[in-house]
Amino acid sequence: MLPVSDFKSIENKRSFNLIGKIKVKIVLIVAGLVISLFFTQLVFANGLATSGLKLVQIENDINRLDAENRILRNEIAKESSLVALSQKADDLGFKKSPKAIIP
Amino acid sequence: MDRIKVFQIIIFIVFLIIILRLFYWQFFSSYSRDSDAFLRESEIPASRGEIYTNDGFPLVANAEAFLIYGKPHELDKKPEDIAKTLAPLLISEKYATISAELSEDQLKQKEEEIKQKERDLLAKLNNKNLYWVQLARKVPLETKEKIQKLVVRGLGFERDEKRFYPEASMAAQLLGFVGFDKFGRDIGYNGLEGYWDNRLHGKSGRLGQEQDPFGLPILVGKYKPIPSKQGASLYLSIDRTIQFIVEDKLRKAVEKYGAKDGTVIVADPKSGHILAMATFPNFNPALRSEYDEKLYRNPAVSDTFEPGSIFKLIAMSAALDLSIVEPNTKCSCSGPRNIGGYEISTWNKKYHPDSTMTEIIQNSDNVGMTYVAEKLGVDKFYDYIAKFGFGKLTGIDLQSESTGNIRNKKEWHSIDLATASFGQGIAVTPIQMVQAVSVIANKGELLGPRLVVEVKDQEHEELVESQERRQVINPKTAVQITEMMVNSVEKGEARFFAPVGYRIAGKTGTAQIPVAGHYDPNKTVASFIGFAPADNPQFVMFVRFSQPSSSPYGSETAAPTFFEIAKELFNYLGVAPTK
Repeated sequence: MLPVSDFKSIENKRSFNLIGKIKVKIVLIVAGLVISLFFTQLVFANGLATSGLKLVQIENDINRLDAENRILRNEIAKESSLVALSQKADDLGFKKSPKAIIP
Repeated sequence: MDRIKVFQIIIFIVFLIIILRLFYWQFFSSYSRDSDAFLRESEIPASRGEIYTNDGFPLVANAEAFLIYGKPHELDKKPEDIAKTLAPLLISEKYATISAELSEDQLKQKEEEIKQKERDLLAKLNNKNLYWVQLARKVPLETKEKIQKLVVRGLGFERDEKRFYPEASMAAQLLGFVGFDKFGRDIGYNGLEGYWDNRLHGKSGRLGQEQDPFGLPILVGKYKPIPSKQGASLYLSIDRTIQFIVEDKLRKAVEKYGAKDGTVIVADPKSGHILAMATFPNFNPALRSEYDEKLYRNPAVSDTFEPGSIFKLIAMSAALDLSIVEPNTKCSCSGPRNIGGYEISTWNKKYHPDSTMTEIIQNSDNVGMTYVAEKLGVDKFYDYIAKFGFGKLTGIDLQSESTGNIRNKKEWHSIDLATASFGQGIAVTPIQMVQAVSVIANKGELLGPRLVVEVKDQEHEELVESQERRQVINPKTAVQITEMMVNSVEKGEARFFAPVGYRIAGKTGTAQIPVAGHYDPNKTVASFIGFAPADNPQFVMFVRFSQPSSSPYGSETAAPTFFEIAKELFNYLGVAPTK
């Protein structure tokens, strides 16, 4: 016949092992979840970081094209101004006709 | 205590510290999501609206410019060296020509300006109390690129805009210019820039965007930019070709007649639209700081002057409209008259007894006009002066318009009535004269002068109508006074200059300038006002010279200039001669 105290300790050991096994499972599940979420976030963040870079590049392109358009527009206006045209006409030796032809 | 317990306590304490720290950051720390280092909150400046002539050509456009700043703590070169390198690049743009084209004086000035600029820059860069210091504003792209090539750490650029004038100084006084207000923001002064500033300046936007430590936007963060709204653009009635012709002829005439300055206005009498408005000397708005500030004013709307004989048209129109006289009514104008103790004589001391009203205008007869004025009386004459728009603003869309000066009716004595009939003792503005003579050209109807025909922004297109429209004199009176003006051109003092084959209505004016209570006989304002063709007016034109030295008379200075410009306008507008 087993002593009563021995029986109790065997019962305690069994229940401790069960709780321990459940805890380990939970820890593993949580750890797995955390790791998978971490990598998911890493993938998304990586993607977004690239998009941010692209956005900046697009914005820079828009600004550059706007600036170039404006420079060209101003250059055209400057070259086609009456001040510039009359100066060029003078330089090329054009003279104003003394007689006007009225349509 | 076993090891597991100790381990649990350590973990508990670490978590507690983390939670407390997070709590501190969330509720107590000055850290704020809206103002942290990773949130970029910046103003998106609005482009100013542009200004176009009636052919859609930009008289005023925008060009890219930059603000240059320095961070004194971050400079990787000596401030002395940086100041020395930057100074020649940041001086006035007027020296942006090759040195060989500058005179010796200009070279000296340039050297002095460089030294001054160097001292300024050095003082700013040496000020270690400042984290950020502005070195220059509105720096053109070419200069920015030159500075960028120097690769100086601690220097930076912020994008900005500046006004660009493709036609250089064309219509400078009319346009006005853009300067800074007390907060350093762009604001329009004078002319169109001043009057239309509220519509031109647009609305700045704001950009609030979270960034990562590398300055890249975090797309999952708040990203709510408020876009800027460009200012409205103005489309003018100004005809670029007419403006060019007028400015060219005016400049030559001012030099030829040795005048202090000259002003020309060309308007369409049927719409009230201004086709050209020029003053010489003028200034280049892009380099305005290099010019005398007095040149910024637009004399066409802000100068008051005694109109002299051109005002006879107003007195005669009033008398004809009230049927007090007819064109062939004769006056007894056989010699000088004494009114209120003052002698009234003609400009050349020649008298024409039994002159008709038409001949009074033809001979510009002061004595004849006193006859007309006495028949009119103060009340009626004064009413017509007001009806023609004198003594109040015309409402033209330009800043700094003056009302002129017509004294209160109660203060008028017999001598005031007499002198006002030939344009002395009253003060008017050039634009008021153009408005009044446009009434005659437009069958007696007054249309307030306008410059802006259309205001366009990204959402609206708004047509601008003339503010004032009313009948001043009968159409019959307008025809009668027109015929008198045609006769004045064909038989008056300036007849030799008039182009052959065209019916032009006009009147010369020569007014002495009042100085310290008396008239200076050597200083005059010479003018000519008229319209053509007389039967179907395409334009009203006013020419005025201040203190011409070659001849004091309008018939020998302003009238020839009027006809010179009119000849060009006939060609340009395709007006064929009728005779």
